[in-house]
Amino acid sequence: MKQRHIQYGASETQQAFYQSLVRRHGSPLLVVSKAKLLEQFQLLKKHLTGVSLYYAIKAFPHPEIMRILAEAGCHFDVASEGEIDLLKPLQVSGRRTIHTHPVKKDGDIKAALRGGSTTFVVDNIDELKKLIAYRSRIGVLLRVSFRSNTAAVDLSRKFGCAPEQVKELVLQAKALGVHIRGLSFHVGSQVADPDAHVAAISECQRLIEEVNRCLDNPMNVLDIGGGFPVDYEMTGFDIDAFFAPISEALAGLPGDIDVIAEPGRFLVAPAVTGICTVSGKARRGDYQWYYLDDGIYGSYSGQLFDHVLYPLQILNGGQQRFPSILAGPTCDSIDIIAEDVLLPELQEGDLLIGHMMGAYTHATATRFNSLSGAKVVIID
Amino acid sequence: MKEFQETLYDAISQDFRIDKMYFEQKTEHQHLMIFHNAMLGRVMTLDGVVQTTEVDEFIYHEMMAHVPIFAHGQAKRVLIIGGGDGGMLREVLRHKAVEHVTMVEIDSAVIDMAKEYLPNHSAGAFEDERAHIVIADGMDYVRETDDRFDVIISDSTDPIGPGEVLFSDDFYAQCKRILNEGGVMATQNGVAFFQIDEVKTTSERMGQHFSDQTFYSAAVPTYYGGVMTFAWGSDNTALRTVPLDELQRRFESAAFKTRYYSPQVHIASFALPQYIVDALG
Repeated sequence: MKQRHIQYGASETQQAFYQSLVRRHGSPLLVVSKAKLLEQFQLLKKHLTGVSLYYAIKAFPHPEIMRILAEAGCHFDVASEGEIDLLKPLQVSGRRTIHTHPVKKDGDIKAALRGGSTTFVVDNIDELKKLIAYRSRIGVLLRVSFRSNTAAVDLSRKFGCAPEQVKELVLQAKALGVHIRGLSFHVGSQVADPDAHVAAISECQRLIEEVNRCLDNPMNVLDIGGGFPVDYEMTGFDIDAFFAPISEALAGLPGDIDVIAEPGRFLVAPAVTGICTVSGKARRGDYQWYYLDDGIYGSYSGQLFDHVLYPLQILNGGQQRFPSILAGPTCDSIDIIAEDVLLPELQEGDLLIGHMMGAYTHATATRFNSLSGAKVVIID
Repeated sequence: MKEFQETLYDAISQDFRIDKMYFEQKTEHQHLMIFHNAMLGRVMTLDGVVQTTEVDEFIYHEMMAHVPIFAHGQAKRVLIIGGGDGGMLREVLRHKAVEHVTMVEIDSAVIDMAKEYLPNHSAGAFEDERAHIVIADGMDYVRETDDRFDVIISDSTDPIGPGEVLFSDDFYAQCKRILNEGGVMATQNGVAFFQIDEVKTTSERMGQHFSDQTFYSAAVPTYYGGVMTFAWGSDNTALRTVPLDELQRRFESAAFKTRYYSPQVHIASFALPQYIVDALG
């Protein structure tokens, strides 16, 4: 059973900081730190040297976040027409994008090409055939399924061909005149250890070498996907220990293999803080209920869809704590942020802080109850 | 952005330095730029693809306008679909014998922008009293108009994009409907070397409606890939067998100078490289 990390109390400076944000912008909020976002980007670049990073827009599809990353030199993973449209007003060449959705309608392919995205992903023959009409102008990555036993979000069930199918698919593509540039994989989101990445890199290296012997146009791209974890449990995460085996595996690749990655969570989760306010309270049975103005239909949707328990912070450092329930603002009983937590007595107007709230929070928020949801605020 | 990199193809691209930006429009629908380049003059790009440049637009416009009009020999009424930059209109109007030119452009903003930022393309053509500008969808126009034309020129964008419908079977059928007897249509059909599939597709579709369907070509430096093809559709097979001396007579009588077109180039342009002939089967 996953434990949620709760921090009790905050310094005077911290309290003043959060309260001034709410005074200025209202509540609920998702506060994006530009500095932290850039720090995460530089950190990932440092640990994955020579790897081109394509931000998975799906993690937090906000134009300002995308602009900050674009200016820092990050590229973009687009998976829908909507994401392509979000990119258009920014000054990003299609050359700095890949279209990563393994399943596409014809309209999706055309929209991608119009946006200048010319690299696509497939994992089966039917999808490959859809690209025949565009074969003269595109490059394709073949997605292979590798599963991490520790991934919080498993993607290998839904996407990716088996490694044994790679050679046949690449040869079928060759016969159809579609150029397979390389292989891609995604071991799952929020993995606990790098083992699956390392195994996948190694297997893909072997596959590329083997299949290249039958090709006129050799494959030379390896997309290692995302899945790089963030420290939701606040237990201290040895980032060097996580990336070292991956770096080593990548260093073993031949020099002409271009490595790319699709980070989302790693870049954006630590850069965002959620702030919501106690709108009401009630004593019900053995529990003190607090009703917040954000919940699982909003920013905390990640608790349902992404299987994450965000670390919370109560500004009130009171020593006496009572069994409490933190509930969201909708009329649904399922809308509970935290069930059965020990909290000091809170007042209406008190703030609840959620940390590491950048990935799959705003991205999956609903409009249920016609609640407008957390306002996104960008700070330095 | 100090450089424009074309994003038409995955594995290759051409790069133009941006020496001065004249106009840039970035919306969630399109990214349009008009900029200056020391070697190319003014360049217009749309969604990462070169549309036209001042230095070589004359090649494209002369070949699309003069080949069908001189082949026809008696063209009085010409229809241009697209061509918002005004270059095609300019070349067509040089024929004094042409009495009426209708130009159908879907977006009036393109014309306004071209008048201001690509003035040398139209060079006053929009003000000619023989020019009739219609702001409408080209497909709707050819389907609904009662007007008839001797020559139809489709100066459209890429088939992937807003110009898609101008490469459809229905478009070719409707153009045939509104062509006068003995008339001809010519359409922009891409760079065959890298887009051979598009040559085959047009051949199949247009070939259903015209007894004489083929392609002619010209090398346009800024349409990356060598030789650009133009589709030719007519029921009048005599148009492609006009002898050189007759073409020369028509050209001299028209009394204007060109920089790419000549009667010899006209005839030679229908000689297609073997790889295109093979693709057409």
